[in-house]
Amino acid sequence: MTGAVEQPRLPSVEPFGEAALLVTLGDTLDVVTARRAQALATAIRSSVGDDPRWADIVPAAASVLVRFDPLALEREAVRETVARLATEVPAAPPRPADARTHAIRVAYGGEDGPDLAALAAVTGMRVEDVIDLHASEEYEVAFLGFAPGFAYLLSVPDPIALPRLATPRPRVPRGSVGIAGRATGIYPAPLPGGWRLIGRTDAILFDPLDPDPVRLRPGDAVRFEPR
Amino acid sequence: MSDPRVEGDTTTVQVLEVLEPGLLTTVQDAGRPGLGHLGIPQGGFADPWSGALANLLAGAPAEAPLLEITALGPRLAVLAALAVGLTGADLGAVAGTADAIRAGRGRRLDPGRAHAIEIGEELAFDPTLAVPNTGFRAYLAVPGGLAVPRVLGSAATSLAGGFGGLAGRALRAGDRLSSVLPGPARPSGTTSAPWSDSPSRPFLPPGTVRGRVRVVPLGASRPAPLEHLCSRPWQVAPTSDRMGLRLDGVALPSGSGEALSHGVVRGTIQVPPDGRPIVLLADHQPTGGYPVVGVAADADAAVLGQLAPGDEVRFEAIPLQAALEARRAVRDALPGLARDPANSGAGRWDELWRWARG
Repeated sequence: MTGAVEQPRLPSVEPFGEAALLVTLGDTLDVVTARRAQALATAIRSSVGDDPRWADIVPAAASVLVRFDPLALEREAVRETVARLATEVPAAPPRPADARTHAIRVAYGGEDGPDLAALAAVTGMRVEDVIDLHASEEYEVAFLGFAPGFAYLLSVPDPIALPRLATPRPRVPRGSVGIAGRATGIYPAPLPGGWRLIGRTDAILFDPLDPDPVRLRPGDAVRFEPR
Repeated sequence: MSDPRVEGDTTTVQVLEVLEPGLLTTVQDAGRPGLGHLGIPQGGFADPWSGALANLLAGAPAEAPLLEITALGPRLAVLAALAVGLTGADLGAVAGTADAIRAGRGRRLDPGRAHAIEIGEELAFDPTLAVPNTGFRAYLAVPGGLAVPRVLGSAATSLAGGFGGLAGRALRAGDRLSSVLPGPARPSGTTSAPWSDSPSRPFLPPGTVRGRVRVVPLGASRPAPLEHLCSRPWQVAPTSDRMGLRLDGVALPSGSGEALSHGVVRGTIQVPPDGRPIVLLADHQPTGGYPVVGVAADADAAVLGQLAPGDEVRFEAIPLQAALEARRAVRDALPGLARDPANSGAGRWDELWRWARG
């Protein structure tokens, strides 16, 4: 392979600006890799406590971003700590002990799920079968991102795991349930977005006035119940 | 004079009433760090340097809540005599009686200084007096900071989230704003920041240049077309907001388009499939899936926060170590102001506290 990008050995720990490191654990969207990212974030947090020089630790699909104060901490010391903890992450961490299970009632199709019919047409399935398939799976919260309380839920069954829309909508209604590849998710607030919308729920996923503001947490299980 | 109200351990006095809100005026502070894992943006001052400096000039903690004023400023009624700190873009601030302002005889309030304003006066922004090329956002701070409830640890307004600040929204007419530590803080004359007389870079942190953004490349395993980004100027698109600056120019070669989402920071430069870069600002989402070409040095956060639609911006690749030194220079410039009672008003706190307590 000539001119190929040098593949990092995983886990890799690389600078992300002068005040952050990006730890990459894998390059796939799956529950095991996401659990490993959560496990690493938890390990870093318990290692540094509430030391404010570690500004933010953000796990995602297959990585952990570590923000720190580079004028108060030596970059090399941060890198060593993070790299050591990354090598100690189990190959297949269990679901967290305090994980919960949520049942989310969804109105599928129609105005609530404007992309459902088209998604069924693309897959050659009947609309009812798409709904059954989406609602038959027990999903796991892989990570939160994009917006407050927005949970990436894995894994959407293959036949209906279609990529995002080519053109995102400027505004997706609160509670919309969408599909983007192997992930499904619920818009906690009106937001721009490109996920294929198949339904909608009344569930409140983010309440900024609640000291525990987020309903779906990493590791939680989610079932969708057609209404 | 307004009667001080004691709420718990905090004394507050109403200091300003909004007569006209301006284009987009919000309550901001240093934001809510540490919540990215819940999908919650840090938010806070779009130009963190000017935000901190305004507070210090007013005699408030650097991270306290204040008003962030965008392009066209508000008209405010002054309900209590106080000293305000004004920084950032020169949007044409004036103070005086309503009649005086209407007749064009208001006192001109220069940014980079603290100004005494009197009860019964108005504080307004006259766009015909605004100075071009001084930025996009002004910051107006009051002694002790604005008294605004903390949501998730911060008073910062999250417009996208609809929380923080005043019910998660921009200011509107009729809103009343209180100061935590109000008082007749009357600086003898005005108090100025030491570099504010430098016309070449007014009101920006030391070492920074308006319209120039220094970029730290990514690690060796993620080579990216930084040469393309740095080889030509870009224009700030009108669709830009507090979440990100969208740039128009000769499109960059875009990668696969969609990658795995990962955590991002303020200053991250993303390239969506259309090849037009997005530079993340204060309200950016904590994770992003677009390919990244580099990360702006945080020392240039003020430069980014002051770019207006239509402005030109140039990128310059620098080594990580240089970004660190730039950051140090910016950090070291602020405490000097904070320590100097003539600038910060800190020496007046005891006196103000006694007054506010009655």
